[in-house]
Amino acid sequence: MTADSCEAAAPILEVRGVVKDFPGQRALDDVSLTVRAGDIHALLGENGAGKSTLIKIVTGVYRADGGEILVGGRPVQFTRPHDAQTAGIAVVHQHGNLVPNLSVQENLALGEALPRRLGAFVDWPEVRRRAADLLSRMGLSIPGGALVSSLRPDEAAMVSIAKAIATDARLIILDEPTTALLPREVELLFGHMRRLAGEGHGFLYVSHRLSEIFDVATSATVLRDGRKVWSVGRREDLRREAVVAAIVGREKSLAAEAPVSRMPRSEGPPVLEVRGLSSARVHGASFTLRTGEILGLAGLPGSGAEETLDLLFGRQAPEAGEILVGGRSRRFASPREAVAAGLALVPKDRLAEAALGGFSVRENVSLPSLGRLLTDPLTRFVRRGAERELVSGVVRRLNVRATGIEARMDSLSGGNQQKAVLARWLGTGARVYLLNSPTAAVDVGAKAEIYRLLAQLAEEGAAVLFTSTEVEEFPRLCDRVLVFRSGAIAGELGCPDITEARILGLAVGLADSGRAA
Amino acid sequence: MANDRFDLVNWFARYGTILFLLLLVAGFSWARPDVFPTKLNLLNVLNQASILLIIASGLTVCLVMGLFDLSIAAMATLGGYVVCKLLVDQGDDPHVWLTVAGVLLLSGVVGVLNGALVSYLGVSAFIETLAMGSIITGAILGYSESRTVLGGIPEAFLSLGQEATLGIPNPVIVMGGVALLLWLLLEHTQAGRNLYAIGGNSEAARLSGIAIKRYALVALGISAACAALGGMVAAANLGAGRPQGVGDTYLLNAFAAVFIGASTLRPGQFHILGTLVGVLLIGVISNGLSILGVQTFWQYIVQGVLLIAAMFGAGMVTLRRR
Repeated sequence: MTADSCEAAAPILEVRGVVKDFPGQRALDDVSLTVRAGDIHALLGENGAGKSTLIKIVTGVYRADGGEILVGGRPVQFTRPHDAQTAGIAVVHQHGNLVPNLSVQENLALGEALPRRLGAFVDWPEVRRRAADLLSRMGLSIPGGALVSSLRPDEAAMVSIAKAIATDARLIILDEPTTALLPREVELLFGHMRRLAGEGHGFLYVSHRLSEIFDVATSATVLRDGRKVWSVGRREDLRREAVVAAIVGREKSLAAEAPVSRMPRSEGPPVLEVRGLSSARVHGASFTLRTGEILGLAGLPGSGAEETLDLLFGRQAPEAGEILVGGRSRRFASPREAVAAGLALVPKDRLAEAALGGFSVRENVSLPSLGRLLTDPLTRFVRRGAERELVSGVVRRLNVRATGIEARMDSLSGGNQQKAVLARWLGTGARVYLLNSPTAAVDVGAKAEIYRLLAQLAEEGAAVLFTSTEVEEFPRLCDRVLVFRSGAIAGELGCPDITEARILGLAVGLADSGRAA
Repeated sequence: MANDRFDLVNWFARYGTILFLLLLVAGFSWARPDVFPTKLNLLNVLNQASILLIIASGLTVCLVMGLFDLSIAAMATLGGYVVCKLLVDQGDDPHVWLTVAGVLLLSGVVGVLNGALVSYLGVSAFIETLAMGSIITGAILGYSESRTVLGGIPEAFLSLGQEATLGIPNPVIVMGGVALLLWLLLEHTQAGRNLYAIGGNSEAARLSGIAIKRYALVALGISAACAALGGMVAAANLGAGRPQGVGDTYLLNAFAAVFIGASTLRPGQFHILGTLVGVLLIGVISNGLSILGVQTFWQYIVQGVLLIAAMFGAGMVTLRRR
């Protein structure tokens, strides 16, 4: 195909002036975008900017209230997701679209017309053959008979992408597909995307990890408050500053990208001492966390950084080792005891482990503080007035945007939910914060606010232990970083040496970590 | 336009069951003005509803934290039978209230045992309470040799189900006490808040420092004691301790009432006030239909339809939120 005919061919997807109204608000206002064959088009914007709504319209989950959608140059009217699939649009969601208790090959065949024998019976050998074929084409060494529930998160993500590709979709929509992936798997995925784009597929790619966007995207559209505020059709024009400015709006852009500035303090008294902490996945970790310090625990998924937080908080019992909180040796049998000792944990998976979706912000925030809001120790009635006061205070301090403290938690955007989860611990007067990816799937603006809050907590004398799957966060936030590799601490980086390259170098075990990445 | 419809659906999800209850009361009053709206009949409705509410309130506590308790039928039977049996066995001078308290304690202990098996052995509450119910049913049948306790039950105990104090039937007073206590527990205490948190997201609750395993003991203990108390009031009302079948009538009705309650005022959440509305709805339907001379089988059908309608109402709210 020559460049000329490529120009002439109709775009795979064309969205023209789409409008979508929800009760009380306009979710999308005159949004247009174009994905051509060979494009990897990044769809960017803060949480609540309208990205998900647009994807739902393109995939037939919602119907647009105005505008039109063209697939391959022909106007289409999707009334249900199946219509979009038939038209060659596949979507891979953040949390995957696989059935955990079925095998990989069954998942790959799900929703397809299964090969038959005698018109009725499933031709299982053929299903197996097709699955093996597809998996090897994707470069995956996963047995087709393995249950999806037995896969690592990154393997599962790759299988969902394989499934999308298996449908022969021309347009593949990826919604935060790399959240669970290791760096090398992200590379592998990008390789597949580039190859498939070269074969004439188009991608619509949503991710909060900006560095990935610049790595892989060939064009981009930025939404803010339901409107298209910026778009670019050529890779050369994709500039980091311009994209960030478009996402957050001009006034906030500086704050979002600049490192969190504060006086690094690593000389305070130790609040948490860990000696020889060991479990199935952590081998003899020893370190000291001081008052006023933000200490990063870096490492690839499964390296022991996240597991260390779980061990410290009493979610799992350590096999060996000693934990000293404020100089006293402690052994937490449950999170309850850790909370009582002044520890706080923000877990990685907000929906599954932190938020009470159907409950009010008030109930979410006051939960661990109820013990200090009681009328008397006998009846243990909760003092409503004191509760409202406490919650309003921390919610204001963290700038949680909601219609009020009685708003339902699940009506908040991801970033505001995460701020509410953090607010929960401010009321308890916790001294040691254990944070596992506190900015995962949080928009740029909320991210900056969370960084500022953590810096503030540290300045006020709390100690923060921080881990994240996004390596770029460590240099911006931490005073000191410990890098885990296969369960052990592979190295420590002090203030001027905390760079993405050195962290990754230590994490993957390059001899010279200077130019690792 | 869009906003108007939004509010209407929301309003129905919250107040639809109450509206329906009022409509039913109005309808039955209009159809049989001489019988239905009389003081005698309305007290009768409350009286019949009281046993169901005592049992359903305890069940509400369990469902709030996400546990199904299917042993309440057997617990109700146990409460009614064992109290009567023990009172009769004591002969002429029985310790009535001591015996009642003892049986309540016994049933509470069985409930706590349920909780322990669920929490510490990791058995699903649904299956565990089903099994415990079977064990209790069997034990009572063996202990009673299938014989109903009829004569010789002390008057003091029978008054619990048959007499009135200040014009209010005693079962209604017991019901009010139980419902008030559990309402205070769920709505105003730390324990109640924790129970709701566990039901909402048990891992989040655990990580917030709540001892989630202990709460299963509390919730199932309360549920068992309430079921036994309901069974006692039923036995006192009947004047007999039957060793089988007492609780079975209440099992489905209790679940229906609690789930109807979860679509009232606070859609999607179990709560005592909602359970009260659910119990009254079931009570009014059954009373009204029998006054109208409608055959019993219709009551089952109407109740089933009503439950589905209530669930549909609650589901509408959840669907629209997406």
